[in-house]
Amino acid sequence: MLEFIDVHQSYGNTPVLKGISETVAAGEVVVVCGPSGSGKSTLIRTVNRLEEINRGSIRVAGQDVHAPGRDINALRAGIGFVFQQFNLFPHRCVLDNVMMAPTTVRGMSRAQARERAHALLERVGMAHKAQAFPTELSGGQQQRVAIARTLAMEPPLILFDEPTSALDPEMVGEVLAVMKDLARQGMTMVCVTHEMGFAREVADRVWFIDAGQVLERATPEDFFHRPQHPRAQKFLADTRH
Amino acid sequence: MLEILHDYGLILLIGEYPHGPLGGLAMTLVLAAAALALSFPLAVLVGIGRTSPIVLVARLAGLYANTVRGLPLLLLVFWSYFAVPMLFGKSINASLVMLVALVIYETAYLGEIVKAGILALPRGQTEAARTLGMGYWTTLRKVILPQALFNMIPSMMNQFVVVVKNTSLAYVIGVDELTNAAYQVNSQLLTKPFEVYALLAITYFVVCFALSRAVAALEKRIARTRRSRPA
Repeated sequence: MLEFIDVHQSYGNTPVLKGISETVAAGEVVVVCGPSGSGKSTLIRTVNRLEEINRGSIRVAGQDVHAPGRDINALRAGIGFVFQQFNLFPHRCVLDNVMMAPTTVRGMSRAQARERAHALLERVGMAHKAQAFPTELSGGQQQRVAIARTLAMEPPLILFDEPTSALDPEMVGEVLAVMKDLARQGMTMVCVTHEMGFAREVADRVWFIDAGQVLERATPEDFFHRPQHPRAQKFLADTRH
Repeated sequence: MLEILHDYGLILLIGEYPHGPLGGLAMTLVLAAAALALSFPLAVLVGIGRTSPIVLVARLAGLYANTVRGLPLLLLVFWSYFAVPMLFGKSINASLVMLVALVIYETAYLGEIVKAGILALPRGQTEAARTLGMGYWTTLRKVILPQALFNMIPSMMNQFVVVVKNTSLAYVIGVDELTNAAYQVNSQLLTKPFEVYALLAITYFVVCFALSRAVAALEKRIARTRRSRPA
């Protein structure tokens, strides 16, 4: 489903990704963790070309993402992305937020888009707020709407960029519940997150990234109980305090 | 002063209309409103150009905006006075010439307001739209401009106040607007320049002050709407 082949990326002269080669199979849930500044967010942002890469290639469903002449809009429409800051459109109500991409990008009729939006809002437990504006919602509610908005494009793959990091602690659970639900239904997911409980519970594999390299790839069981790399051991010790 | 107002009030207000061409304050307001209405769509294009990812487009839009903003309006008025008839034929009337100069001038300033409005939005808005597969123009139309233009309403209204005052330069090419009307009244009376021009000053002030208050009220309302819902 998703393949990184020797991916290098740098901001100016500062290398961020130093040769990432990994694969994610369809239906797999991968949690990417590591210290801040390690390149985890940059890594998933290269997948839908929010960041360009300097070397290597990335394939999604067999297609080279960074190939010259690739239709970037068509590509992005098929890759879900959930932001740390939600990034809902504040001038539109919740329902319009979810309907916008299917109607403008896919040319879906408004009636059909509305029906699907309602179903998706139901799925994330936000149907009762369909007419509300984003600023009227709590962070957790906004993020659930943002997930529904992403799902409206029916992407086979969703990338999560620290989806719970901007939330108050009591709202983290409701967002993770939605993500767990997605994982159980077979969605392919790559999640950059600090939620180790989530990783333990639903991840098929954990990637540990530090200084732009994947230092460890393991099942959650192995990663949390038998980390191999010294830096992974230190990271886990630090996060446990 | 009341005497002047009594004798020449109508001339100052609407010129010779309806027996002759529209003039006075009415012409001033018509010019200002038309200039703003025509500059607005052009300014949106300039603002988009200024923020364009295509370097050449951004440079050209920047060249236009910076050149015009670096020139006195009076110079544009003179240029238009000679250039517009060359382009569109000799019969073109002076108010249209002034309108062209005002539009060129205002488009540059309004364009900067549009640019600022676009740049003030969080980058996440564009990223979210593009990530959903929306193209550059769809993103502008559906996500960026509705927010940016809404946020810009007070700045644009302020610009309207500036345009009202700028129309007074139309006097130099003989457009029958408020300043010109006052000038003519003065040359008929000959002995009361202070009173005539005080009347002119008061008129501009009242119009502009009223507009400024309207902008302030609008700003408050926008702030309230924003607090109760979108940003």
